[in-house]
Amino acid sequence: MMLRAVFLIFQNEFRLLSKDRVGLFMLLLAPVVIIVVAGFSLGNLYGAHPRPHAWLIPIVDRDHGPVAQTMMQALAAEPSITTNRPANLAEARRVVLRDAHAAIAIEIPDGVSNMLKAGQTAHLIIYVDPTKRIEADAIELRLTTLCERISAAAGAAARVEIAAQGAAAQAQIDRMGQQMTALKARIEDYRQSVISAKSAAERNLKQQQNRQIADLQASTEAAVNRSMVAMRTAIASQLEPRERAIVAATDYLHQLGIARQQFQHWLLDLREAAGSHAKDIPPAPQWPAPPADLALLSEPFTLSLPPPSILNITRPPLPSIAMPPLPSINRLLPDLPTIKLLEGPAVPGQLGWSERSLTGGDARVNAFDQYVPGFGITFLLIGMLMGISLRLIEDRDWGTLQRLRVIGAPLTGMLIGKLLARFLVGLAQLTILFAIGWWLFDISLGRNPMALFLPAIAISFAAAAFGLVIACLARTHDSVMPIGAVFAMTMSAIGGCWWPLSFEPSWLRAFGLWMPTTWTMQAFNDLMIRNLAPSDILLASAATIGLGVLFAIIGLIGASRLYS
Amino acid sequence: MDSLVVEAIGLRKSYGARLVLDSVTLRIRAGEIVGLLGPNGAGKTTSLLILATLLRPDAGELRIVGADPRRSAASIRRKLGFVPQSIALFPSLSPLQNLELFARVHGIAKRPARAVATRMLEIVGLTERARDPVAILSGGMKRRLNLAGAMVHSPELLLLDEPTTGVDPQSRERIFATVRQAAAAGAAVIYSTHYMEEAERLCDRVLLIDHGRLIADGTVGELIALGGTQARMEIAFQTEPPTGWLKGLRGISKLPTQSGVGKTVLALASLNQAGEVLERVHTSGAHVLEFSVYRPNLSDAFIALTGHALRDPEPQ
Repeated sequence: MMLRAVFLIFQNEFRLLSKDRVGLFMLLLAPVVIIVVAGFSLGNLYGAHPRPHAWLIPIVDRDHGPVAQTMMQALAAEPSITTNRPANLAEARRVVLRDAHAAIAIEIPDGVSNMLKAGQTAHLIIYVDPTKRIEADAIELRLTTLCERISAAAGAAARVEIAAQGAAAQAQIDRMGQQMTALKARIEDYRQSVISAKSAAERNLKQQQNRQIADLQASTEAAVNRSMVAMRTAIASQLEPRERAIVAATDYLHQLGIARQQFQHWLLDLREAAGSHAKDIPPAPQWPAPPADLALLSEPFTLSLPPPSILNITRPPLPSIAMPPLPSINRLLPDLPTIKLLEGPAVPGQLGWSERSLTGGDARVNAFDQYVPGFGITFLLIGMLMGISLRLIEDRDWGTLQRLRVIGAPLTGMLIGKLLARFLVGLAQLTILFAIGWWLFDISLGRNPMALFLPAIAISFAAAAFGLVIACLARTHDSVMPIGAVFAMTMSAIGGCWWPLSFEPSWLRAFGLWMPTTWTMQAFNDLMIRNLAPSDILLASAATIGLGVLFAIIGLIGASRLYS
Repeated sequence: MDSLVVEAIGLRKSYGARLVLDSVTLRIRAGEIVGLLGPNGAGKTTSLLILATLLRPDAGELRIVGADPRRSAASIRRKLGFVPQSIALFPSLSPLQNLELFARVHGIAKRPARAVATRMLEIVGLTERARDPVAILSGGMKRRLNLAGAMVHSPELLLLDEPTTGVDPQSRERIFATVRQAAAAGAAVIYSTHYMEEAERLCDRVLLIDHGRLIADGTVGELIALGGTQARMEIAFQTEPPTGWLKGLRGISKLPTQSGVGKTVLALASLNQAGEVLERVHTSGAHVLEFSVYRPNLSDAFIALTGHALRDPEPQ
């Protein structure tokens, strides 16, 4: 019984599946469609379909030197790169922004060749379109290799030349070494002769000096002795009268002393004898005047001495030193070789590159700048499938559409009302997603965040109209999600919502021009990643709205036939 | 009450090669409840969609509330209420919100729309569930609300397409009462159904429709009479009466039966003859095990007129 049940249910499941067209569609056709789209889109990335000249590189040459020539030749040898020579950077920028094959432009600055030749590090400037970041990285990788190759080749050539010059210089140096050895021997001989001459001169000079000093000492001593005798005679004659006066004064003073003592005794006796009349005693008599010679001693005394005889010492002439003859320097030094330092190549510098954004923003891309708008649009489309396609079919199936029509609401009015409501919901959905992206992931809002509303409005409108078209294509509730999801995912994939548009082959990009997602992603990329001005996205936004109008017309005509 | 609300003459409608309405002519007056009775696929819904101006007939003349729908569909729609066969409601909204929306679409201002919605909820007995989501209401409640949605603007013509499908008896009675109330207020009502009993109970007049053609138009009694069907009596005997036991009873005849059924089936001129038959059995000495008397109905009339039953036979 159990086995029978298993068999019957097993058999019945296949019968049910064979009748379930939607199920079969989801099982096979839907994944095949998505696989095809993804495979073609990412084929270039994985290198499955390498094509010659896949990448176009505009090169602005301001150097006009060998570096540019070498670079052009090297790039021309790359099978997956082609180059052109725009007149200036602005033209190169236009090429990169317009051509999906162009991810970067190269500027070779003035003087790069000279800098490289002079051994300095020279840099090419790579202008990157940030929306083609991955392609740019791949090209930059090749350019790095190329720069290393150019630097290595220049270095190798320089090394060969330097090696040759080094050998010549070494020969010269060897010759100089031999000559220097000979010179060293000659100089040593000369040194020895100088030392001998010096010793002889020193001895001679010493003997002469000794003789002259002895003569000078004898003459000086005689002169001093003569002068001393004359001085003594003059002093003795001048001091004789004064010695005599001093003797007489000394005698007087002695006699005066005695007399004074006698007088004192007398005076004392007198006063004693006078008694009460002592006061009547007359004053004592005057002392004798000193001798006149004594006055002579008090006169100022000037000792006049005869002028000393000046020693007239004459310096003896310096002895002449006889030096040995010096050898001629020309004879001494041999003819030195002239070392010719060749005008050798300086070791070339390293050629590198520096990166800038082509559009003035950041050359490095925040991945969320791609994925917030990309997946926002994908889920906007899915939201429209649920909000418009499914709801319209439900309204029809439930009878509410019929009822509303009976009570006076025109079908077109109801459809437009639905589109308008879902358009606003979609716009709010995108706005919230961008706000979350900005808050959590620091996505770029471009120069003017308000400008983001333009593509958001355009895609919300186009997506709402897309929902109406799917409601017409699907016709049944169960078919909406399979059919709608395939369309939504295909439009998202081809439109660049999941990966950069530049990944896709040309024919797929051309196909994508009929999808509003393509134009909208281009506008979001221009604003957020390329940091372009709002005026640069007017065409893309107009194209999105135009496709939205086309969808809306198709949807309204289809719905008025299917749902009336 | 005599004013003509719907006048259709010779309506034809085809879907491709399939003819779904063939020369249908009908007239409906104000205050009249007209049943549109027929089996599935008879053309009832197509007729209602044409009357609701949602479909255009391929041929025929039609005037609804005095106007030609080809020229004045919008003005006609403002005067008619349509209850589709499906539950035409927004399931995530409440009954009050659904009715308010319908009233607003009809052009009723916000405050009066709320008042009308509240009143309609009272009429259909859903005041207590006014704020619950429609999705959680029972089938009968949804059907009542479905009806109320068509009446928020007091229509002159009310079109009901099988409005009682799958409802409980209580809801059915409430729907009938509401329809009668609308008719009493002057609305012309066209009630599409394949339930004969509903037509007999509710409708002033019944239109029998089959394969796109209008078979008969009249009161229930008129249609039964038109079908020529008679009352029947079935008797199961414990002991069979003697041969000729019906002799002398006028207007009573024995109908042929399949062998082995064990019952005698009699056609009666009127229901009053059942007593006479039982009296004759008693006097003949036979014993009755059980008996049944059948009044003729629309189903009999339909079978008589079309040769097939109104509904497919119930599965055994």
